[in-house]
Amino acid sequence: MKSRSLAATLAASTALVLAGSLSACSGGSGTDGKAVLEFQTAQSVDSPVYAQLEAITAAFEEENPDVDIDLKTGADDYEPQMKVRLAARNAPDIWATHGWSLLRYSQFLAPLQDEPWAENFDDVLEPVMKNDSGEFFALPVTTSASGLIYNRTVLEDAGVDPAGLTSWDALADAAEAVKANGVVPFSLAGSKDGSAGNLVDWIAPGGFTDDELAKMSDGEFQEDAYADLLGVLADMKTDGWTNVDYTSATGDDMARSLAEGTSAFALSTNALVTLAWTYNPDADLSYMPVPPLDGGDPYLIGGEDTAFGVAKDGDNVEIAKEYLAFLAQPENASALAAAVGNPPGLTNAEPDLGALTDPFEQYVASGTVPLEPFFDRVYLPNGMWDSVVTTADGVLAAQSTPAEGAAKMAGDFDTLFSQSSN
Amino acid sequence: MTTDVLDTAPPRSVPPAAPPPRRRSGRFRGASINLLALPALLLFAVFTIYPLISGVAISFSDWDGYSADSNPVGGANYLRLFTDDTFRAVLITTFIYGIGSTVVQQVLGLGLALALDGKLAGRGVARAIIYLPVLVSPIVMGTFYYLLFQYNTGAFNDVVVAFGGERQAWLSTQGGGVTIILAVNSIQFVGTSMIIYLAGLQGIAPEYIEAAILDGANAGQRFRHVVLPLLQPAFATSVVLNLIGGLKLFDVIQVLTGGGPGTSTSSVSTLIGRTYFDAQSAGYSAAMGVALFFIIAVLTILANGALNRRRLEQQ
Repeated sequence: MKSRSLAATLAASTALVLAGSLSACSGGSGTDGKAVLEFQTAQSVDSPVYAQLEAITAAFEEENPDVDIDLKTGADDYEPQMKVRLAARNAPDIWATHGWSLLRYSQFLAPLQDEPWAENFDDVLEPVMKNDSGEFFALPVTTSASGLIYNRTVLEDAGVDPAGLTSWDALADAAEAVKANGVVPFSLAGSKDGSAGNLVDWIAPGGFTDDELAKMSDGEFQEDAYADLLGVLADMKTDGWTNVDYTSATGDDMARSLAEGTSAFALSTNALVTLAWTYNPDADLSYMPVPPLDGGDPYLIGGEDTAFGVAKDGDNVEIAKEYLAFLAQPENASALAAAVGNPPGLTNAEPDLGALTDPFEQYVASGTVPLEPFFDRVYLPNGMWDSVVTTADGVLAAQSTPAEGAAKMAGDFDTLFSQSSN
Repeated sequence: MTTDVLDTAPPRSVPPAAPPPRRRSGRFRGASINLLALPALLLFAVFTIYPLISGVAISFSDWDGYSADSNPVGGANYLRLFTDDTFRAVLITTFIYGIGSTVVQQVLGLGLALALDGKLAGRGVARAIIYLPVLVSPIVMGTFYYLLFQYNTGAFNDVVVAFGGERQAWLSTQGGGVTIILAVNSIQFVGTSMIIYLAGLQGIAPEYIEAAILDGANAGQRFRHVVLPLLQPAFATSVVLNLIGGLKLFDVIQVLTGGGPGTSTSSVSTLIGRTYFDAQSAGYSAAMGVALFFIIAVLTILANGALNRRRLEQQ
């Protein structure tokens, strides 16, 4: 009897320990017999997108009383959090792919090209979301189409006509003009935010020849061309185009500076404009195509934006697909895209871009401006983003030379390219 | 009439019943009592031993940190440590954090301990205030100081501007960033050193001091020849704890500078995080972790050994 009590005590203790350490489990069946699906969003609880998802999910659950969609909020550490869950083979049933549905997450996601809504998949997303077999792995809620964000009031005060900024030289003149007016030309945030990496992504399409890009795709890093690209960033620093507090500034600081007119330009996604309007709703902000470095045509940067994929090994794959189909219904997809503030990723959804409707109509909907993909996602191996940010950050902070930054990029490129080729 | 002997006998005091001899519980005795450590051992195994072994195994692979597959790469990740300029630069910065924090905390900690060892009014309150930051999360501490050093809305810049100066980008250079990080870490954990030294000071028998006074030693001589040698055990404990903490510094850096500009204020710990999650090189990141483990272990053993030798020599 005594030894049985001892065994029970130890067993209970051990079970508690193991339960504590192994308690993270994905969806499945609830105690009331409902199918429970975990949906890991990348949104904070107070974001308009999360509120919209809550409303749509409630409508879905009303139509499907045997299904419980467990919406989870995301945070700044969403990306490492997802990587840990995938490494632990504990993927949610549905999750936000934040631009990486194909290159990073496709090995874990169910292909969706045969879903009923797939015929409305926007072709503009094809190069970045579809593989060679025509498969894609996420419902594209929105398309990212971004350019050079500017404060129109600041430019007008400096006598700059935004329509004339079609080359890098013209942009340089504009930067000098606003600087002479006591305004910082470019608003940037330090390495914690990654805006230095955005700078590279935004100006790189005009910094490489087609031949150089083809070699990069084949695994041959173009160190000299990349050093030239970083040289542009170094010039921006030495010419006084960047904010003094660059290193300690955050994305919020960038947005506020733009909203308050203490800076003129930013190279970022349009989410920055939405954030800036929270500081000053009357700020006259817009965006234009990026003036190219090489004298070619101005372009926009675009690709996968907000998108949701379904875990291929989940317990409720079919229900998850039904839920995605519900999200893809035109009224729901339109509402979600409006909440994000970017163009919809489905052709049957209506865009509602608020104050950014004009530039959208002028540059995106008209189809007159080429949409370039994010440089790092297409020409650099998966995992290079951190190197892009830290090397650009080092140059912008004058902690390293463009040649040193390019050499570091070359080393990391070779390592990660060989890793991705194995 | 007979008299019962019992009636005439003086009352006897009856000794209280002796408590039954205490028996050791039959449930846990002998070697079986060691089994009570099993839950703790299990926790230790799950959260320390397994990750350690797993980390070493990952360091010999090219795993990206989330995929199902990885390939063995032998010692390539360890060889890469010797040719990686970034790792070398970050290692130097880490030593600055480790050794710098240790020196600052010993000087301040000992000074505060000496000041608060006497019979000062309010010394208890002062000790509590100095020790309080130790109880605060380094993330909170870092955020607090970030708000002080921030460019646009930071309190320090507001003061500078109020006195007619220009705003300063305190965290935008390597020198500024490293100095501030080192200072914040030292300020936060100086309370630990103070407590260790206070315990050491209060363990010194007053007879030693009295004997020194009788011998004509002045305050400086008493401190140098009596107090300091007797504080050697406290010194060894404090140095080793501060050194380990400084070499593992992570949270404060992450909040104040994110390791930037570039990687100029990164420690090996923050670089490990970036390499694992952002650069998706879990194998290389694990190799850095193993290297840091051995670096800390070797430095700790060397510091401990040197301090123990010194103590034995003085005895």
